[in-house]
Amino acid sequence: MPLLRYLRDSLVFAPCYIALDWASYIDPVGPFNITPWNPQHGLAIVWLLLGGLSHAPAVLATVVVAEAVVRGLPGGYFIAALTSLTLTGGFASMAWILRELLPDPGLRSTRHLTLLTAVVVAGTAIVGTAFVGLLRGAGLLGATPVPEALLRFWVGDAVGILITAPLLLVVADPARRAGLLALARRPESLAQAGILVAAMWLVFDGLHGDPARLFYLLFVPLIWIAARGGMNGAVVAAAIVQIGVVIGINQEAGARLPVLELQALVATFTLTGLYLGMMVDERERAAESLRQSLRLAAAGEMAGAIAHEVNQPLTALSNYGESALMLLARQGAADAALSDIVRKMLQESARAAEVVRRLRDFFRSGTTRLESLPAEELLATVRRIGQQVLGAETPVLSVRDEAELPALYVDRLQVEVVIRNLIANAQDAIRSGGAEARSIDVQVRRHDPEHLCLVFADSGPGLSLEMRERVFEPFVSGKATGMGLGLAISRAIAEAHGGSLEARAAAHGEFHLVLPCNRNP
Amino acid sequence: MQPEPLTVHIVDDDASVRDSLALMLGLAGFRTAFFADAEAFLAAWRADWSGCVVADLKLPGASGLELQAEMARRGSPLPFIIITAHGDVPAARAAFRADAVDFLEKPFDQVQLRAAIQNAFSKESMRLRRAADADRLACLTTREREVLAAAAQGLHAKEIGRVLGISARTVEVHKTRIMAKLGARNVAELVRLALAAEPPQDAK
Repeated sequence: MPLLRYLRDSLVFAPCYIALDWASYIDPVGPFNITPWNPQHGLAIVWLLLGGLSHAPAVLATVVVAEAVVRGLPGGYFIAALTSLTLTGGFASMAWILRELLPDPGLRSTRHLTLLTAVVVAGTAIVGTAFVGLLRGAGLLGATPVPEALLRFWVGDAVGILITAPLLLVVADPARRAGLLALARRPESLAQAGILVAAMWLVFDGLHGDPARLFYLLFVPLIWIAARGGMNGAVVAAAIVQIGVVIGINQEAGARLPVLELQALVATFTLTGLYLGMMVDERERAAESLRQSLRLAAAGEMAGAIAHEVNQPLTALSNYGESALMLLARQGAADAALSDIVRKMLQESARAAEVVRRLRDFFRSGTTRLESLPAEELLATVRRIGQQVLGAETPVLSVRDEAELPALYVDRLQVEVVIRNLIANAQDAIRSGGAEARSIDVQVRRHDPEHLCLVFADSGPGLSLEMRERVFEPFVSGKATGMGLGLAISRAIAEAHGGSLEARAAAHGEFHLVLPCNRNP
Repeated sequence: MQPEPLTVHIVDDDASVRDSLALMLGLAGFRTAFFADAEAFLAAWRADWSGCVVADLKLPGASGLELQAEMARRGSPLPFIIITAHGDVPAARAAFRADAVDFLEKPFDQVQLRAAIQNAFSKESMRLRRAADADRLACLTTREREVLAAAAQGLHAKEIGRVLGISARTVEVHKTRIMAKLGARNVAELVRLALAAEPPQDAK
């Protein structure tokens, strides 16, 4: 079964790679045909990044086939095998480094973008040196000087990967893909694309000038697109411009355009757009989280005010009830039924008081007192809360951990609020799910040297993609009776600690709570 | 000589809370007095009041804690019970630092409130008894007080006579007169009175 899937995946990858290689086969230089745009290499890296390094053999085979089909094996089988090995090794190394450095493949911050850029620029330089050195050694460079060949390879690969990889990563990431689709449906996007294409026509044809000198015109629509559409818009704009440049080069094949210079401009264009777009995204996210914390603060104040106002009548109510009981007792032959009713009223008023107390306790996480919390105590806390929340109910709570976990450095009470909330949510999810295997699985593991991750997995139905982020918004609840504050507050607590709380997309419910460790144990 | 009966003085701005507390505490057999805010309480306050104060933390003018501080400044020994619908830890800490008997969150358990009041009352009656004892000791002569102090240390009549330079018979006469003045039935009661009248600083 895994073998079949592997073959199926490879059968998707190989034609795409070869088609991209063929489509981007422009302006080759030297007998070995170094081209100034190699998007297929971006595809290969993303394939290895998302699918895992086990796909390296399939990539290697594809590269060899592409050499034969597109370029016609100018150096013979042996050299083709060597160059293909060099390329595949380079892709695999870059994919491996990116896998290690990026927390998830969806590019989420300028830091991720910088990591990607640095790995690609450095990686293509190293692979290029090996590749060109190999050709030079085999005497296959012809009249092309080594520096020029190296520059062509480097620029061509870097541009190809920097345009293709972010585009593919955006398409592969469910949240980003949803953003991209939403962007595509905006009428403004159509106007933006139209103006971008028009600007390209001006650069290559309309103004009858040197395209490299007129290229700056394209930055104007790019600013518009990135400012409005963020990174998703910028990724698409870069791809459109690259395709336009390729078409322009192909049409003017006789005119000998400065291809390398144009590709360097495309690289600048792409990086500018990506960074601009990413910053727009980050600013929007910061504004959104500020809005949320303001809403949370307002909710906290409101909860405090409500607690105060409701507690007064509740106090009076229970005092009157107590008085009624005393009067009934004083009358000697007390009416048992009436006493019973008054006692029930008192119980209900106590219940209302308890609800108010819990509501207020949620917001009482104002002052944070950090202390060391050893991993064993954390696990004991999880078990204790699990017992309290679940009681004798059926779901099985299993708690697992890795060996030699460091102590956390957190506010105990606040972390308990979060754990209690996550376990209670898991219990509700299981109840609504009605699955036969009812279980809650809490796993503690190392997240990075400075953080631990608590994974709360339940056998419930899990969250839809849309609800995955929405559940963290205040007053949004997936439950019929929920207030929609638990997860919002839990995330606020996790983030106040310098950690995070996220819902994962899975067939079951899964939450990842990341908390900081004690730095100086 | 008969002291004012112990009274629960309640300071709360919420009329329903006041009314319901009056009813409940009244039925439970407590004498109660009510004030809507700290200012009304201070205006009515007399130094011979005894019992305890149940004050809300949040009042329209001065808060319950400020009232507690003001009463301490005026030298009133009335014990305080702070109640609040807004339970917060720093306020509770401040209340206890200022020697509050208890800090209760509204809505409180009646049992808890009554226990707190009883606690405050037992503190109060101990204080009142000590004050009454001190009053009675005040009517002794200097010589009688010396005899009483020596007797409280557990000395016999002979030893007291030697220490004070008087005969054992005179000591016995003094003792009898002291017991009559203080209304003590035996020496043990006398010793208790002498100890109770002493300032509590040598209680280690």
